[in-house]
Amino acid sequence: MKHISRRQFLGYSMKAGATTLFTGILAPSATSFFGYGGVAAAATKKVSPFTFAVLTDAHLYDIKDHKFDKFLEKAVADVNSLQPLPDLVLYAGDIGQSGKESELSKGKKILDKLTMPYKVIPGEHDYYLDLGKAWRGFFGDDHWSFDHKGVHFIGMNSILVPDFWTMAGLTPKERMGRMEELECHRCGLWGVGEKQLEWLAADVKKLGTDTPVIIMTHSPLWSYYPRWNFQTYDAPEINSILSKFEKVIAIHGHVHQVVYNQFGNTTSAGLLSTSWPWPYPPVDLPYPEYKMNRVDPGDFEDGLGSHKVAISSDFSGEVDYRAFSHLLPENVKRGLKM
Amino acid sequence: MNILTKQTYMRLSCVTAVTVTVLTIMLMTDAAAKSPRSDQQIAQERQALLEAVAKGDGLWHDGKLGTNGLACGNCHPDGSATNPHTWPKYQSNLGKVGTLREMINWCITVPMQGKPLAYDSTEMVAMETYATFAHRGVAIDPGKDEQHGAMPVAGGPGYPTH
Ligand code: HEC
Ligand SMILES: [Fe+2]
Ligand SMILES: [Fe+2]
Repeated sequence: MKHISRRQFLGYSMKAGATTLFTGILAPSATSFFGYGGVAAAATKKVSPFTFAVLTDAHLYDIKDHKFDKFLEKAVADVNSLQPLPDLVLYAGDIGQSGKESELSKGKKILDKLTMPYKVIPGEHDYYLDLGKAWRGFFGDDHWSFDHKGVHFIGMNSILVPDFWTMAGLTPKERMGRMEELECHRCGLWGVGEKQLEWLAADVKKLGTDTPVIIMTHSPLWSYYPRWNFQTYDAPEINSILSKFEKVIAIHGHVHQVVYNQFGNTTSAGLLSTSWPWPYPPVDLPYPEYKMNRVDPGDFEDGLGSHKVAISSDFSGEVDYRAFSHLLPENVKRGLKM
Repeated sequence: MNILTKQTYMRLSCVTAVTVTVLTIMLMTDAAAKSPRSDQQIAQERQALLEAVAKGDGLWHDGKLGTNGLACGNCHPDGSATNPHTWPKYQSNLGKVGTLREMINWCITVPMQGKPLAYDSTEMVAMETYATFAHRGVAIDPGKDEQHGAMPVAGGPGYPTH
């Protein structure tokens, strides 16, 4: 299926919005009639269970028949083979490696083979050659929201850094080169920025506190390892805007690894890439039991994979890591409870 | 010492004289001397090391060692997970007890599809220097089964060297 155009997408959200409205009116009165009452009970009535898939970090190169092309194709085929088919697919950024139009168009061609609608946010590798121009041409807005089966989905562009290139007199290619290094010494911390914070506040303003919310960003909404931008500097503001909700599920790319955290009303999971895995940074993990094993560098598929997320009627979720190779310990194989 | 013959005494003083002379020459030319070194000399040596680190940082990230666009830095940010302190050790991809340099060449040729570096090339030395410098202070423990994070190295092209 084609990437959801703005038009199609609006239609899609409106349909989904109608469903929310419908259950939104009926569910609370029904529960209060039976005397269950309470916000939580109302929330449980709102979601009709469904699954969606998540892919991320393909890092496609402008090189013909590159091995990473095959890995993204494999992940897409895997998602298309799921039974039941996921309702939709989210893509968490870094489609390309150097932000080239050729990389992004190659990525879009492969993603278009998905048989369900998909939504994308940018990663730093998609963005810093032309500051998102080509990316927006292919995928539209870099932040968006829609409703699906009672869940409010939000996607945001979390990789915006203050201008480090003008003063340094860097060419676009040099700027991209700097950003391509995870440990870039002069790129600084990134976040969503003021405009998107305002947008987010407005977006969720009218939503009831019992609305189930799923938010996707490229980088984690907690301070994991700032040196590698395993962080979003204005995550505290995002979390505070979303703090009125009973429960938020956050998923993110960028870390190329299994990582899990809980904070406030939010459960957060990091995802496997389809390019290369990253070692864990030299800090303590908040949940060290959710960790992938060391990777075999001779098996190029080790540490890569796709993801299926199942959402239940009570808005409990489960992230299933569908690793291409067998690097997952048993507890992670069973899925992360969200 | 009173039992020393005159002859022995003569010979001894001769040796002493030669030794003193050699030492004096060494100190004067200070080419071969290791210690004591002047502060300036120590600073120069440090600078030479940091230049090797910077060269290694460049090679680590520019992708020129491979042919498929990948660089070591893609998969080993800050040189992490190269674990220089654990080498030499048995490494299953090498299939034998090997050295850090052998593993560097393995990663150049396998995941990056590049040509191996000569073991005594300045490039190889720079690669090893970068990885090892990123693990300064970590206790040497050959064969230790550990994936170690790395310390930031601010040395690459365009970055402030400290
Ligand atoms: C596509 C990803 C990838 C690239 C590119 C890559 N490596 Fe590796 N390398 C790995 C993985 C994965 C491991 C295994 C890490 C572990 O042992 O936990 C590894 C292991 C190593 C090790 C051994 C670590 C140990 O303790 O056994 C060294 C040394 C190393 N790489 C150096 C390099 C160098 C130098 C380069 C660049 C020339 C490079 N690698 C490029 C993925 C990569
Ligand atoms: Fe990435
Ligand atoms: Fe990223």
